[in-house]
Amino acid sequence: MEVVCGGRFLSPSFSESTSGDNTRSIIDQSQMGEQEQVSAVMEDEKVIKEEDLEVDPEPVLDIIINNVVSSFSVACHLDLHHLALHGNNVELRKENGVLTMKLRKPPTTASIWSSGKITCTGSTSECQARLAGRRIARCVQKMGYNVKFRNFRIVNVLGTCSLPFAIKITPFSQKHRDAASYEPELHPGVTYRIEHPKATLKIFSTGSITVTAPSIANVQNAIEHIYPLVREFGKARSEEEMAEYRRNQARKQFPILNFEDVEEDLSSSEIEEYWEPM
Amino acid sequence: MPYQKPIIYSTFDPNSCVCHFRSRFVEVCCPQHPEAHLIEDYRAGDQICSECGLVVGDRVIDVGSEWRTFSNEKANNDPSRVGGPENPLLNGSDLSTIIGPGAGGASFDGFGNSKYQNRRSMSSSDRALINAFREISNMADKINLPKTIVDRANLLFKQVHDGKNLKGRSNDAIASASLYIACRQEGVPRTFKEICAVSKISKKEIGRCFKLILKALETQVDLITTGDFMSRFCSNLGLPTFAQKAATHIARKAVDLDIVPGRSPISVAAAAIYMASQASDDKRTQKDIGDIAGVADVTIRQSYKLMYPHAKELFPDDFKFSTPIELLPPL
Repeated sequence: MEVVCGGRFLSPSFSESTSGDNTRSIIDQSQMGEQEQVSAVMEDEKVIKEEDLEVDPEPVLDIIINNVVSSFSVACHLDLHHLALHGNNVELRKENGVLTMKLRKPPTTASIWSSGKITCTGSTSECQARLAGRRIARCVQKMGYNVKFRNFRIVNVLGTCSLPFAIKITPFSQKHRDAASYEPELHPGVTYRIEHPKATLKIFSTGSITVTAPSIANVQNAIEHIYPLVREFGKARSEEEMAEYRRNQARKQFPILNFEDVEEDLSSSEIEEYWEPM
Repeated sequence: MPYQKPIIYSTFDPNSCVCHFRSRFVEVCCPQHPEAHLIEDYRAGDQICSECGLVVGDRVIDVGSEWRTFSNEKANNDPSRVGGPENPLLNGSDLSTIIGPGAGGASFDGFGNSKYQNRRSMSSSDRALINAFREISNMADKINLPKTIVDRANLLFKQVHDGKNLKGRSNDAIASASLYIACRQEGVPRTFKEICAVSKISKKEIGRCFKLILKALETQVDLITTGDFMSRFCSNLGLPTFAQKAATHIARKAVDLDIVPGRSPISVAAAAIYMASQASDDKRTQKDIGDIAGVADVTIRQSYKLMYPHAKELFPDDFKFSTPIELLPPL
C-alpha cells in the first residue's frame, strides 16, 4: 500500500478526487513548487463506496500534514527587549521569557528565546519549515545580530488521515492492549503508540486518524503500519456519520480565507513566486 | 507436654570421616496425624491440626490487642502499652520508642504546655506515605469505599512511591489516581468526576497521573462498561429495580448494536436511564440524571437522539410500559 502526500493545493484536482475518479489524490496545504512528494505512488482502485466495505487491495489514502514543528539556533545571544521594540510582528511575554514572531508567508509562528534558540511552528512541510526558519533568522539578522543558521531539525510533525470507513474502537483497543490506550472519559480516541517508526496515533471512531511523529516519513510509515490493524475493525458508516463526515470534508476543503470569492483567492496564490532561501 | 516428633539430623565431619546422628525434638505435631499441616491461630495462641482439629500447641505468643478501644472513648485514656498494629507491607518497620503524652502535674510547665514535646520526627522517610494513606482513607470514606479498595490503593501508592518515576507529581494527585485505579481493579469503577468530587486535584491532573501510574507499574485496566455504573446511578436517583434492569439492558444493547459509536459509556448509561425512566412511572429529567452521573444534559440529549430511533430493539422483552414507546419524548 502506498500513500501519496505532499504536493499541490486544494483546487481543481482535489475536487476531481472527491468525485470518485481513479486518480491519485494528493493533498497538501502548502503551495506549489514543493518537491516534498513522499516517495510512493498508489495504484488506485475505485474510491471505496461508503455504503459497503469492499475488500480493497490497494486503497488510496490522503495524508494531510497539518503542522511541522522545527527547532534551530542562531548561535548568539539575543536581546529580546530590543527585538520587541524594533521588530515587526513580534510579541514579548516576559513571564515566559519568550518572544513570538509571526510570519505571513509561509504562515508560521516562531518562539525566540534569549539564548538564541528558536522554535518554529505552523508550517506544512519540511521544506517550508526550513524556509520559515531561514526567514526568521534573516529577520533577526536585519536587526543587527551576528546570526548563523545552526542545528536545524524537525522536532514534530502532525498529520491527519481520514479512512474511508468507520472504526470499532472498543474491540480494537481490547485486542491491542499493549500499545493502545483508550479511556473514554478522558479522550474519545484511542492513543496508539508505536516504537519502530516512532509515532503516536490517535484513532477515532469516525475513521479519522491523527499522527504525531518526528518526521514526515514516519507519519507515512505509521499510517501504513496501522492500516491493516484497523482494517479488521472497520465498519460501514451509518447515515448520521456520513452526514457528519461530509460536513467535515466540506469545511476542510474550503477554509474561509476571506469573504471574497474563494476561487479567486486560490488562483492568485498559484501565480505567486517564492522568495528563494539564501 | 505436646507430642514432639523427633527429627534426625546427620552431620558428616570431613576431617574424621565420622557421621554423627543427632535428634532434636523441635517440631510439634498431632499424634494421630504426624504429617498434617498445623493451622496457627495467633489470637488464641494455638496450633491446630488440620485433619482432626486437635489443639497441639499452646501458649504461643498472642499478637492480638491488649485492650479493646471503642470509638466513643476519650482518646487521652488509651491504656494500650504497645501502640497500634504494625503496617508491615506498607512502611519500613518502625519500632522506635516514642514518649507518650504526659499525665499528672509534673509533665506540664507553668503555662500549661507540656514539657516534653518531642512527639514529631518519627519515620521521616515514611511521612509522605503516612500522609498519603490518610488522604486516601479520607477520600474513600467520603464515597463509602470498603477497606479492600483502600488497601489496594495504599499498595499501589507504595509501589509508585518506591518506583520514583512520578516523583515530581503532587502526592495528592498520585493518591487520587491510585484510588481510581484501585476501584477499577476491584471491578467497581468510579468515574473520574466522582473521584474529583472528593479530591482537590483537577480531573486533568488525575487523568495524567493515572496514565503515568499505569505505565510505571506496567499494568493495564479493563475498559469501563455501562453496567458498572447502573446500580449506583439508579439507586441515587431512587429508581425501582425493574427500571434499573431495563436501563442496563438498554445500554448493553445500544453498545452491542453499536448505535452510539464514540460516546463515553457514562453518557450512554445516562441516556439509557433516561429512556427507561421515561417509559416507566417514575420519570426523571435529563438534568437530574446529568447531576447524578456527572454528564451535561446536552450530552445525554445527544446520546438519546442516537438511541431513540432504535428504541424498539433496545427495551427488554418483558418490560411493562407505562408510557408506550411511541409516546417517548423524541428530544
